[in-house]
Amino acid sequence: MHELAIAQQLVELAGEHARRAGARRVTRLNCRIGALRRLESDLMSSAFEIARAGTACEEAELVVECVPIRARCPICAQVFAVADWNWRCPDCAVEGEPLPGGDELELISIDADNELTPGAAEHES
Amino acid sequence: MNVPIVRKVLEKNDAAAAQNRERFDRLGLTCVDLLGGAGSGKTALLEAVLPILTRNLRVAVLEGDIATTRDAERIAALGVPVVQLTTEGGCHLTAPHVQRALGELTLDELDLLIIENVGNPICPANFALGEHARVALLSVAEGDDKPAKYPLLFRGADLVVISKCDLLPHVDFNLAAAKTDLRRVNAAAPLLETSARCGTGIDRLAAWLAHLVGSALRIDAAGSAVRTNRK
Repeated sequence: MHELAIAQQLVELAGEHARRAGARRVTRLNCRIGALRRLESDLMSSAFEIARAGTACEEAELVVECVPIRARCPICAQVFAVADWNWRCPDCAVEGEPLPGGDELELISIDADNELTPGAAEHES
Repeated sequence: MNVPIVRKVLEKNDAAAAQNRERFDRLGLTCVDLLGGAGSGKTALLEAVLPILTRNLRVAVLEGDIATTRDAERIAALGVPVVQLTTEGGCHLTAPHVQRALGELTLDELDLLIIENVGNPICPANFALGEHARVALLSVAEGDDKPAKYPLLFRGADLVVISKCDLLPHVDFNLAAAKTDLRRVNAAAPLLETSARCGTGIDRLAAWLAHLVGSALRIDAAGSAVRTNRK
């Protein structure tokens, strides 16, 4: 369950950046997560719900851009996503060469405004 | 408003890991994170390699576990200083866990600190601890599909140990297929086939670790590590 640890860090990081930007409520977190991280999306959603409770992210939506593992075909040179550990080029059917990446774990941006969340209000009092 | 951020999600852990690393470097201490699934043979591998290493190196172990002190007791039985870290349900060690445990060791009297991570092939691979190198275990009893299932574990490894190789005749493990998958996620790390039970590959593991410590060890014909010119 590294999902919970990661969700907690996401919420904390988003809250910090919202405060720094003078905002009180985070409405959306945009993050990028590589397939190599093996984050389970259902677990990630539940973990995020637990982690955001009582914070400035209490009403926020988590939007995840999944970055696939990628490979390059040695014949036609096209770059393709490796889905279900299938390393064959969709056109040439030969094994692709692994490319770097797929291990991303980043918070890209947040949407925030100045509405008070119940959690943030509690926090301030 | 939209606030651009682009930050690594685990930057707090990474910052604590960097502090640990700085501390190790200041002391001239080498730190290795040993990772692998539950039952992949991490403790047995340590039991096999520690007696070779401790002939010439001052070694301590941080033993990460969800609960119980059983593994730490196995290491203590070898006369090696060991600190038990229980995560109380947590599935991985973090850099702050390690930071707190370091206070219980006399670090300036050590050459090598081995952190045996919580038995889990997924979560610990996400968390840097400040280690100089990662050793990832794959036991033949787990199955040859594990590099595909847990790619991050092997992607980040500086050495991949295929353990329990004495079981190869008895299990359905395609060594060639496993190696192909390992190479897909990590083209550079050496692959070492070992058996803690039979002693296969243990001298080579000791040599790899000793080389990492930079102690110019060589492995003599009898398979024992000999310090030649350290300091």
